[in-house]
Amino acid sequence: MFAALIILAGGCKKFLDEQDPSNLTPDTYYTLPEHAEAAIAAAYSDTRFIGGGAGIFAINYSMLEMVTGTAKTETGQNSDLNNLLGLSYNGDNLLVRNWWNGLYKEIANTNLALEKVPGINPMDETRKKQILGEAKFLRAWAYFYLVRLFGDVPLITKPQSATSEDFRPKRSSTEEVYNLIVADLTAAEEAGLPWSDASGRASKGAAKALLAKVYLTMAGQPLNKGAAYYKLASDKALEVIRDGGFSLFQTYGELHSPGSENKGEHIFQIQYLATIAGNPMQQILLPNFKDVSAYSDEIGSTVPTNQFYQSYEPGDLRAKDREGFFYTSYYTGGNGALKQLNAPYIFKFFDVAANGTLGVKGNTQPDINYPQIRYADVLLTYAEAQNRADGTANTQAYDALNAIRRRAQIAPLAGLSQTAFEEAVWRERWHELCYEGITWFDMVRLRKAYNETTNTFENFTGHKFPDNPSIVLADKNLLFPLPTAEMRNNPNLTPQNPGY
Amino acid sequence: MIIDKSTGIIIQQQQQLTITGIVVDEKSQPIPGAGVKSMKTGKSAVTDASGRFTIEVDNATEQLTFTYIGYTTLTRAAGSGNAPLTIRLALASGVDLDDVVVIGYGTRRKSDLTGSVGSVKQEQLQERPAASLNQALSGRIAGVQVNTNSGRPGGQTNIRIRGFSSINSSNNPLYVVDGVILPVGSQVQNSNPIDYLNPGDIASVEVLKDASSIAIYGARGANGVILITTKKGTSQGGRITYDADFSVPTIGPNRVKMLNAQEYINTENLAYANAQTYDPAGWAEGKYVDPRIKRLTLPNLFDSSGNPLYDTDWFKESTQNKLSQNHQLGLTGGNSESTYGIFLNYRDDNGLLKNSYLKRYSGRFVMDTQIKKWIKVGGSLSYTNQEENLVDIGTGGLNAVRMITESFPFLPVKYADGTWADNQNYPGAEGGSNPVHILTDRKYILQTQNVLGNVYSNIKLAPGLDMRSVLGANIVTRGRNEYNGRSLYGIAFDQKGTATIDNNRETYWLFENYFTYDKKVAEDHTINAVLGLSWQKTNIFGFTASGENFSTDYFQNANLGAAGKPLPGTSRGSDFSLNSYFGRINYTFKEKYLFTATARADGSSKFGDNHKFSLFPSGAVAWKASEEDFLKESKTVSNLKVRASYGVTGVSEIDPYKSLPLVGTQFGTTPYNAIIGDVRYIGVGINRLGNPNLKWERTAQSDIGVELGLFQNRINIEADLYYRKTTDLLLDAAVPRSSGYEVITKNIGSLENKGLEFAITTNNFAGKDFSWTTTFNISMNKNKILSLNEGNADIFGVGNPGFTNETGIIRVGEPVGSFWGLTRLGTWSESERAEAAKYTYRGGKPLLPGDIKYLDANGDYQINDADRSIIGNGSPKGWGAFTNNFKYKNFELLLELQYSYGNDVLDMSTHSGEDRQGIANSYATVLNAWTPQNQNTDIAAIRDTRAGYVTNVDTRWIQDGSFIRGKNLLLGYTFPTAVAEKMKLSRLRIYTSVQNFFLATKYRGNDPEVSTYSNAFAQGQTFFDYPKPTTYMLGLNISL
Repeated sequence: MFAALIILAGGCKKFLDEQDPSNLTPDTYYTLPEHAEAAIAAAYSDTRFIGGGAGIFAINYSMLEMVTGTAKTETGQNSDLNNLLGLSYNGDNLLVRNWWNGLYKEIANTNLALEKVPGINPMDETRKKQILGEAKFLRAWAYFYLVRLFGDVPLITKPQSATSEDFRPKRSSTEEVYNLIVADLTAAEEAGLPWSDASGRASKGAAKALLAKVYLTMAGQPLNKGAAYYKLASDKALEVIRDGGFSLFQTYGELHSPGSENKGEHIFQIQYLATIAGNPMQQILLPNFKDVSAYSDEIGSTVPTNQFYQSYEPGDLRAKDREGFFYTSYYTGGNGALKQLNAPYIFKFFDVAANGTLGVKGNTQPDINYPQIRYADVLLTYAEAQNRADGTANTQAYDALNAIRRRAQIAPLAGLSQTAFEEAVWRERWHELCYEGITWFDMVRLRKAYNETTNTFENFTGHKFPDNPSIVLADKNLLFPLPTAEMRNNPNLTPQNPGY
Repeated sequence: MIIDKSTGIIIQQQQQLTITGIVVDEKSQPIPGAGVKSMKTGKSAVTDASGRFTIEVDNATEQLTFTYIGYTTLTRAAGSGNAPLTIRLALASGVDLDDVVVIGYGTRRKSDLTGSVGSVKQEQLQERPAASLNQALSGRIAGVQVNTNSGRPGGQTNIRIRGFSSINSSNNPLYVVDGVILPVGSQVQNSNPIDYLNPGDIASVEVLKDASSIAIYGARGANGVILITTKKGTSQGGRITYDADFSVPTIGPNRVKMLNAQEYINTENLAYANAQTYDPAGWAEGKYVDPRIKRLTLPNLFDSSGNPLYDTDWFKESTQNKLSQNHQLGLTGGNSESTYGIFLNYRDDNGLLKNSYLKRYSGRFVMDTQIKKWIKVGGSLSYTNQEENLVDIGTGGLNAVRMITESFPFLPVKYADGTWADNQNYPGAEGGSNPVHILTDRKYILQTQNVLGNVYSNIKLAPGLDMRSVLGANIVTRGRNEYNGRSLYGIAFDQKGTATIDNNRETYWLFENYFTYDKKVAEDHTINAVLGLSWQKTNIFGFTASGENFSTDYFQNANLGAAGKPLPGTSRGSDFSLNSYFGRINYTFKEKYLFTATARADGSSKFGDNHKFSLFPSGAVAWKASEEDFLKESKTVSNLKVRASYGVTGVSEIDPYKSLPLVGTQFGTTPYNAIIGDVRYIGVGINRLGNPNLKWERTAQSDIGVELGLFQNRINIEADLYYRKTTDLLLDAAVPRSSGYEVITKNIGSLENKGLEFAITTNNFAGKDFSWTTTFNISMNKNKILSLNEGNADIFGVGNPGFTNETGIIRVGEPVGSFWGLTRLGTWSESERAEAAKYTYRGGKPLLPGDIKYLDANGDYQINDADRSIIGNGSPKGWGAFTNNFKYKNFELLLELQYSYGNDVLDMSTHSGEDRQGIANSYATVLNAWTPQNQNTDIAAIRDTRAGYVTNVDTRWIQDGSFIRGKNLLLGYTFPTAVAEKMKLSRLRIYTSVQNFFLATKYRGNDPEVSTYSNAFAQGQTFFDYPKPTTYMLGLNISL
């Protein structure tokens, strides 16, 4: 027995060694081409944070709608949501934190792919270059959100460990962040990606379309790079328009139909599939417990304001019940008798198969994607940028704008002044791109807000929300506050954005 | 043998003497089951049914002790053995100082202890039969806080010894059963291997509280150690014992009132009418439907005038008064060389809520044998099979307990056509199914099989020097079978049925070898030493499979292949190991001055390469003042001992691999699943920020204690003061999220606990027929966080669940378990209309008279996190028990009261039970809602929830949770021996008891001793808890 003790005592060093059987070590893992695919898959997976939960009866998606004045909520239970709606949020707000955290996690995984994939050998060089291009696209996509939401943000381009130099980073200037975005998207354009990709991966077209949006934003607030960047934006958008492959859907129904995902009008989307990760917006956007779907929970977390709904031109197909972007009636239980709701709800992301339709019971399996870049956005980006770059709208700009209007079955426009044309494009952006997380960034880059009553644009600062005129936009709202927790955990992250 | 002490030479071989005798009580009645033990050889015997015993001794001067519970231990010389001895035991007057208590790696007489050790014997455990040891310990020992947080069978207990020592690591004590250390459990529902030990198998429980007594388990003892000694065989012939109890749960005290059918209808009508005030725009658009018209479309629920046809009491409908039973059979036997025992148990507990149950079968075999003079071997093997249905599962959702409150009272349980009547059927409701429907169609079955075994050998190497080897193993195999029926709204309706199977296997072994040395040097010096080493290893493996979309509820979990939507299976594995070296020396001088020094060096695989080992030392001194000449003759002071100890102990109960940087297929619990071309691609991404410097969490504890016995120990007092400081807290410290990561596990921060424990036992009256003893104990603990992450930043989201907001905060200078929220000042009055309109916290709508008014702490006209503060704490200022024991002839009466004060309850049920109306039923308190005529109220004006309302974690949700509970009232009768013998029995006792028979509290909810969350600091946080029953019990104890 003593001998046994001695043997055991001698082996004790090894006895206390550890190796996790369920996880991998970063230093030894990345060796095969499949590992490169796994690395980029993690980065795609992370894009779904936008639909991620944000406390009781809310998802992160709602943040960008609550602050525009075009949306409201029918559930009063989530005080973070309420505070966004009342413009009384601060850096503790859960949705604000979730956007920061979600975007930086996306960046961390793209950084990991960009660091590790080049070292994988042997690997098909074409595919390797493509994967690096996809990673750069996704990193740019994330930084573009970050810089528009928070302004100067830490610029992290390497995987982090507790001993990394930039583990507690300072804020980088907005300009530097945009430089990385442009560089990443330019690299993605040249990465040998296909023009479009029906599987939902980033494509060359997506990189160009996103770059067009980036240039348009750089041209406006806060960088104010002006005409040169309007020119870059219009050129880049034109590349997307000219090279074909994308087109407007004939009907609005195709925007939320599983059969038309990642093609036609949809240039880049966040991918959902019920069997893997279902679209989280269905119950959230349904009217609050009105029993108009197969779902047993109907939340009404984000619903349109009646004022915005009423601001569409008479006859605008987009405001037509269950044909455009809204519904004001639906079938009892999703498939029964038509029920009047007496209020507008968002139809743009309504999964008919999941919720049900007349005579067909819903399957509660929401498969549809959530759009990030639509061809309609590219058309309007071109129209706005060309008009500003060249001083007046050319035929192609009118064609772009009128393509949107024609689909909505409203009269095409012609012969407008530069300013009138620009306002017409903005109006179309508001009405075409509503509830897609775009309107807010338009308000910020233009420093304008749409007045539903007068159908005109007024200054961002001082704009009163139609549903409650005591809610007024102020300068400070141009940026979201840095998350308070992030400032606590990173003493170098100063100062807080003005006004918070 | 007689050995010459100076030379070690055997000078004389002597024949052993056989001593026989009888043990009787004061009335000369024989005492069966009394213990006889030789102080010298350790040989023992037990008296038979007629009180007789036989024991062998080496010589006539050998001291024998005679013990029986409730009687004063008697020690006398064995004598020549020529005539049978008659031993008369006197009724004990209080605490028995000669009781031998179990300590780590050995035993000590209570009077020789230098540390703070609480002890409970099996007779006490029998007074209040319970499904788990933790429940049985409640109120028994000062400094030990046991919360029975649920009325479900098994009780969902939470146990803390001397407060909290950890934030991210475990606060659970270490359990040691017959020398086998159980793994600190982190299985589903936070269960622990101790939950599967049959309490009926326990002979005694010792709780080690101070550093001196814990230090021998140094590495993992910082939360206290609970030593369990199970029942053994008998050396004196065969014995059979049979214990049974039968009980019925009934609706307990303090039940909450909900609106009845008519009250609900009035409330809903008002909610509709008030929508015009609170959402004029929506009202104008025609968004609101008049409920009076709606009801007319529902002839199966309302008559033609809109009056309800039913008025259902959902609490009553959801409960059952079903018989529970517990049977325990003990078969023991043996002789002076070998003893054995077989113990069988069957428990069938039926909970108060329909279909909730706990069934347990267990069997145990134990054997000890002196195979040679120099070697004793033995061991035990037990098997437990437990099955539970947890009907209160799903906190936060529309689960059965919540729907008891929220189901509409105008619904029947089932319609005339036999279909379930659910809230979902009522247009505009939040939905959900009725509680009876959920209790019937939802299953959450835990099937746990536990094998616990050990073998040991004890070898005498030389006089006084023994070597003991223990090999122990614990295998817990746990199946979780969950099925939610297709028709359960808000649970599985959208998924058309969900089934989950989870299997987890935790395999643990321990191998320990230690030497013990006992030596009396001259008259005045006694030395007792332990030196040993230990290896432990745990392996955990589990897998989960689940599916949705079933065409029938028939299969439940038995056919996952029938799932229309199978979900991907997952599996997990982990290992960790410990290697330790320990030693202890006790030195006693003149039987008055006691010294103990202990040290343990522990190595754990969980820590970084340079920090695997750590040393945990401790020391203690005690002085038996009553042995000094100036007190020895005192008539007043019969016992006085002062003791002090200091030591360092540790905690390592974090998940393994936290020191390693990792990438993986998931982050936290979120898998990296990319969807590309509608196909799943498994991603590998960032997973863990490693910390190679990770090391042990350390707790330094000082303790000063006094034990005082007065008037021949008729009054016994034990008091302890302690101070515990935990440093190098294992903290999942938040990191800048710009790194992509959330946390790094670090040793950072410190916290302290200081407290007082006081216990007094008095023998108020001890007459021939009547006796009365009282015990009272109180414990007070104050916890404070001293430092945290760099910059001492507040920590949220750890230890408390998120609800509508963060509910808890960890802040330097404050205790853990602090609740976080807004301050509700009441409601806005008509006269404050203009001021109220400056706020927008009602879903962006302006605040109106009748809305909830909060304290705007910073005066910025915004109500957000900046206005939140600490509004309560779930830990009590003090707690304890007050027990009175009366005996009259053969009758006994026991009254046990439990109390707690200074603890707050954060009743989050207030959110849906009171803050909102019109979409589900509410608490009856909403009848006091704001109206222009009733403006001085905390409760907002009733309105349709869609018209905009306000709900936040706030001071209205916090209530004083102080209480006094009638824990147990027991009346027992022991049949006279003569009567019992006529039935061929040696002992027959019957008793009846009622548990939880009253509750004195200001708390509005069911029961303030509550938590529906398993988070570390969520004591007192509830969102619809399983109501606690009043239980009536009838039991009997038979020996033959």
